[in-house]
Amino acid sequence: MAVLRAIGRRPTLWVELTVAAAWLALLLGEGIARGYGGAVVAGSWQSGPLWICTTGLGAIGHGASHGAGAAPSASAPLLAGTPMWGLMALAMMVPTAMPAVGHVAGKSLYWRRRRAAAEFLAVFLGLWTAFGLLVLGPLASWGPARAGFALPIALAAAAMWQLTPLKLRALRACHRSRPLPPRGWRATRGVADFARHNGTACLASCWAMMAATAVSGPGRLLWMGALTGVMTVEKLSDRPRTASRRGAAVLAAAAAGVAAAVLLPQ
Amino acid sequence: MRHEARSPRGQEALQHYATAVGAMKDRHPEDPTSWAYQAAIHGTESNPLSLQKQCEHESWFFFPWHRIYLYYFEQIVRKAVVDGGGPGDWTLPYWNYDIDGAHASLPQPFYDPADESNPLYVGNRNRRYNEGKPLPPLLQVEAEALALREFIGNAMFGGGNRSPHRPRFWGQMGLPERSPHGTVHVEIGGLMENPEKAAQDPIFWLHHANIDRIWATWNEREGKPNPTESGWLDHRFEFFDASGTKASLSCGEVNATHLLGYTYDPLPAGGNVEEVTPPPPPPPPPPPPPGTPSEPKFVGASEEPVSLTGEPTEVPVEIDPRAREEVLEAADPEDPRHLYLNVEEIRGEKNPGRVYAMYLNLPREPSSSDYDSHHIGNLAFFGIERTTDPDADEAPHGMRFSVEVGDVVRALHDEADWDREGLRVCFRPVVPEESEGGERSDRYEGEHEPVEIGRVSLSIDA
Repeated sequence: MAVLRAIGRRPTLWVELTVAAAWLALLLGEGIARGYGGAVVAGSWQSGPLWICTTGLGAIGHGASHGAGAAPSASAPLLAGTPMWGLMALAMMVPTAMPAVGHVAGKSLYWRRRRAAAEFLAVFLGLWTAFGLLVLGPLASWGPARAGFALPIALAAAAMWQLTPLKLRALRACHRSRPLPPRGWRATRGVADFARHNGTACLASCWAMMAATAVSGPGRLLWMGALTGVMTVEKLSDRPRTASRRGAAVLAAAAAGVAAAVLLPQ
Repeated sequence: MRHEARSPRGQEALQHYATAVGAMKDRHPEDPTSWAYQAAIHGTESNPLSLQKQCEHESWFFFPWHRIYLYYFEQIVRKAVVDGGGPGDWTLPYWNYDIDGAHASLPQPFYDPADESNPLYVGNRNRRYNEGKPLPPLLQVEAEALALREFIGNAMFGGGNRSPHRPRFWGQMGLPERSPHGTVHVEIGGLMENPEKAAQDPIFWLHHANIDRIWATWNEREGKPNPTESGWLDHRFEFFDASGTKASLSCGEVNATHLLGYTYDPLPAGGNVEEVTPPPPPPPPPPPPPGTPSEPKFVGASEEPVSLTGEPTEVPVEIDPRAREEVLEAADPEDPRHLYLNVEEIRGEKNPGRVYAMYLNLPREPSSSDYDSHHIGNLAFFGIERTTDPDADEAPHGMRFSVEVGDVVRALHDEADWDREGLRVCFRPVVPEESEGGERSDRYEGEHEPVEIGRVSLSIDA
């Protein structure tokens, strides 16, 4: 009953719980993948939910190097990666968009608050999943095979992107809300329009950091967590320029650290 | 003790203030104790120097930030007063425009003489106020502010929680920040209507001393408490002291005026500015019950955005059929819930310099008593430029105002003047009544730059 009351008081709680579940799935998947040494038989996982974060992610992350034939590498059907990129977007990007989710949930008529949040997430996650399939997937299968240089290059590029006017414009656009019509198809269209604008701004703001995640290879879960932190902090800040510059400094330091680790003799 | 500008002590303080302002205006603009530098701490259109362009608006930091700002400014002016041979116990006077009609006009030293020899004179103010005319009575709303129950909240006294972990998508302005603070800024006009320039007008400081007095009165006479959250109490703001050295205070350190060594001369209603002994403060009320407050429950909203351009504008708000009974229940004074009208997503590139009065279900041909009984609040757009400024390091956001309307809804219902299916919100420009033969300023005529209101909604808070 207490949980139901809490859910009633906080219309975005189900979204927060779903994000937590997504991270749990990623953690479990990583653990299982490590337990199997990354060599999982494709057929045994593809039908199960853990496939999306173990074999699928592992195969894309390690490309052909593992040779497990596990899943949607570049040669696999494009849509096969949908669950994995959807899960990554849910875990990494939805925390950064919680103010927007709160906006649509909090500003909708009380009986359609959860529905409005779901409508927003459908469009928002759709944009990010498509970006994952079309851009991050090919990057993920290319990057880690490049002797570890892909990650510092991607981090340095992300740091530079942080300092561009386009990035600042996109980050500021992430803070823009829109009036939401209260009912009927106009309400649904209003939420979808807002989600499209917010999602596009979010893509323009965060694509470089997501690209770094895609090429991170081993240890990707740590990079996913760290970069989710950077993206969330800068998107929740109400001082976008300051936050973006601080993000650039963090990314540049990370790029330098990873490059040093790659270059220095073992 | 800070004195009302028209009291004998206040008039004496104003003379010294004028001398000190003149001395500060002569200082180099990069001197932190100069007039230009102090004004730019609030806002500037130039590249900001250290600690400049820091003003806090639309959140629970509005009151403490401005209290600290005034505290250090007062020290700087006092030093200039002493350097000029004035008293060492000089304090900043305040302008109480709420006492009666006579007090609602600018204190005379601010417009007489009306030339550059007067350091307190600013030529581009709304002309009527430089002619000694009073503010419209509709802007005298101190009693409404003092009646508010709580500090934290959009329609409450102090504004919304703006801790770093509480991101915002809209402004969270407390009621007194909207009116009288914002409405007086805009109505005085000129420098005062733009936050980047407002503190250059010497009346700014007396206006804000009055806002600070309203906060102190709310705390002491009304016995209402400030936030106890560490995100508010421990938040520090940095300024320059009288020696030009950086110094800081936290909100918790300015929780009450006596912590900073000053009080306000208490004025009984009716405009008697003789000083009287302040009554003992009532015991503080019990703390609010613990627990997470519910999200506001939206029960109706307008369908289309509207633009305000200087003409009366009406916005229909349909109440959701499932909530029509609940709206009336929440409007009942015995009901613990509260009914709010929200004006959301307000955007504009330029402050139109006009104040609007808001009315609920105003009759098509209203009588003068209708204007009183249907009035729910005033609206001004002080700071609207910052909501869309592409160069500002501030997240763009629409302004938002909320006002409690339970009493008006209940009264309309009791008078069989309530339509349960919906309500009409009317925005009418406030135009001061002129005395016979008086000439109305062009300022109140014609269209202005549009200000868009994205939505008007009705919500119930637990």
